[in-house]
Amino acid sequence: MSWTLRPAAASDLDAIDALEHATFPSDAWSRDMLAIELAGEHTHYLVAVDDADAVLGYAGLLAPRGSGQGDIQTIAVAASARRRGIGAALLDALLAEARSRDAREVFLEVRADNPVAEALYASRGFERIAVRPAYYQPDGVDAVVMRRIVPGGRNEAPESANLHDSGPRRPLVLGIETSCDETGIGIVRGDEMLANVIASSMDEHARYGGVVPEIAARAHLEALAPAIEQALQEAGVALDELDAVAVTSGPGLAGALMVGVGAAKALAIATGAPFYAVNHLVGHVGADVLNHEPLVGDGGLELPTVALLVSGGHTSLLLVRDLTSDVELLGETIDDAAGEAFDKVARLLGLPYPGGPEIDRVAADGDPHAIRFPRGLTAAKDLERHRYDFSFSGLKTAVARHVEAAQAAGESVPVADVAASFREAVVDVLLTKALAACRDLGVPRLLLGGGVVANRRLRDAAVERCAAAGVALRIPPLRLCTDNGAMIASLAAQLIAAGHPPSRLDVGADSTLPVTVIQA
Amino acid sequence: MLLAIDTSTGTSVAVVGRTGTLAERTSADTRGHAEVIGTFITEVLAEADVAPPALEGVAVGMGPGPFTGLRVGIAAARVFALGIDRPVLPVVSHDAVAYGRSERVLVVTDARRRELAWSRYAAPGADGLPVRVEGPALTPVAEFDTVTSVAGYVRIDAATIDAGLLGILALARRDAGLPPGPSAPVYLRAPDVTLAAPKKVTP
Repeated sequence: MSWTLRPAAASDLDAIDALEHATFPSDAWSRDMLAIELAGEHTHYLVAVDDADAVLGYAGLLAPRGSGQGDIQTIAVAASARRRGIGAALLDALLAEARSRDAREVFLEVRADNPVAEALYASRGFERIAVRPAYYQPDGVDAVVMRRIVPGGRNEAPESANLHDSGPRRPLVLGIETSCDETGIGIVRGDEMLANVIASSMDEHARYGGVVPEIAARAHLEALAPAIEQALQEAGVALDELDAVAVTSGPGLAGALMVGVGAAKALAIATGAPFYAVNHLVGHVGADVLNHEPLVGDGGLELPTVALLVSGGHTSLLLVRDLTSDVELLGETIDDAAGEAFDKVARLLGLPYPGGPEIDRVAADGDPHAIRFPRGLTAAKDLERHRYDFSFSGLKTAVARHVEAAQAAGESVPVADVAASFREAVVDVLLTKALAACRDLGVPRLLLGGGVVANRRLRDAAVERCAAAGVALRIPPLRLCTDNGAMIASLAAQLIAAGHPPSRLDVGADSTLPVTVIQA
Repeated sequence: MLLAIDTSTGTSVAVVGRTGTLAERTSADTRGHAEVIGTFITEVLAEADVAPPALEGVAVGMGPGPFTGLRVGIAAARVFALGIDRPVLPVVSHDAVAYGRSERVLVVTDARRRELAWSRYAAPGADGLPVRVEGPALTPVAEFDTVTSVAGYVRIDAATIDAGLLGILALARRDAGLPPGPSAPVYLRAPDVTLAAPKKVTP
């Protein structure tokens, strides 16, 4: 049986009066008082009705315009209609009304023996401010006075700075990630991961040998809502419990990002949760906060750390001093991303997409030192300008030349040796530059992230070389290394705990969002 | 009451009831859908004085439209509906333009890349609801004479789709017990990719 809300009318008085007496048998308001409330100039009463317009519940707000304050007067739901979200819907509707009347503070009183109601109010940001002893008579039950401060609406930046350190310490956040070909929905509570659903369109891109932006964006649109439902189910949480909705606003594929941004804003508004737009790359670092069982490393994330993020779309070296306020881009690829180089070289060698696992597979039988492929941007003159930058297009071309030369000479291409030598060149330059950064900056910590971390040779070489250099290495489990929504939720949870206000609702997708912009 | 969203051309968002449009925001900007959608939704809800849980559902224009922007509105509508646990009511965007016209009409919107998207409508029946008889379809601008040469249709070039009308139409259709519109976006174009031949190498 469905129900809807509508403004209460004088003709609802009989039904409301009956419900009032059934709900509050010992201290019901009189019929006259209810009539005055319904007709009040400064009140706003709603009823929840079923398909036959029978009243299932009612609620009222007193909020004189210009007073800046509002009071939730009453909320009642018929016993037979409880546990269907009607009370929460009535409350949300009254809070929206209060907001439209510019009420900055909303007060209410709740019986101390009604923890279910108090929990509902707490979920909407009401906090206990006082107890009135024996307020409810004749029962002698205390009244808990609660207040909710509305900082210009929950989705707008607070005007006063003193709210900045009032964020919940372990906020419940749903994160949406759609920057490339993976639709990721994650739910975290503080540093605890509750769900991490990933729907990939990788198979659809395979025949094209790389991610096709339009195919990725179409797939996001179809995958989003089911993935959100699945994540909620896995986490065992309801949408109205969320403390925030977070989304990747960049960097990434513009059309793909927009799907997530549009969806996240809508979800935030629909549920009344604050909206956080965050940086994808910093999200990869944020994933490590959830990482309680790292693939490599132990203990928690220590800062500052150098972070090497390697994926099909990014190859970036970051210095992270503070996850929520101080991230610096040391260097990045000036042409192809490392993962892209794997895909392109795989194609040169007649191997399928995605290239990483394929190169890994055939390289197992090859000699990594058979061919000395170039290490991009490692020559002395390049190091001056591009000390921490990467370039893989020269490497890819060198592989192509090698393959062509073999074919021109009528020889068979030594695929295993080419793959192993190519992979070694990529791994070598990635780690050489990352460890140089650790040494130069005096930061003996390196965090790896991004999908290319799935490459076994990169992980093994990182373990060896970090040990030799005295650098503590951390590698999160692969499910947190590839693009996912939990990392976005995690970063937002850290931002909230650090007191950062929500993002503005008019932020857009930014395909080139700089890493210094942790929150858009 | 419904929230109604259309991003098939510009961005239009409205709250509608059975008495008509309660609040509406429309931008003809064919970019920036992702930027304005949140603000527009917030503003129409506030102006119509409606809290999300009080909505019966979310009407959404499914296109045709250039796909990047179109997706923003559909994603927002689907997820908003999920957020309030109410249904999505999809509508072919052109139907909203034809709605309310008593004559036979040809609705035309820009599809970019020198193509136009169009739909043809018969005169409405007693219920006043639009009767699409052809389309939506795509035709290059250079060949559009073949579409306009069919006599008896008043051509309407729509720069924006009115989300208010779209929402009222969705409500009217639902109240009349008619099935909803297409559940998939009306892209009318295949994804823009060319298949690269893999390089042949002897293993």
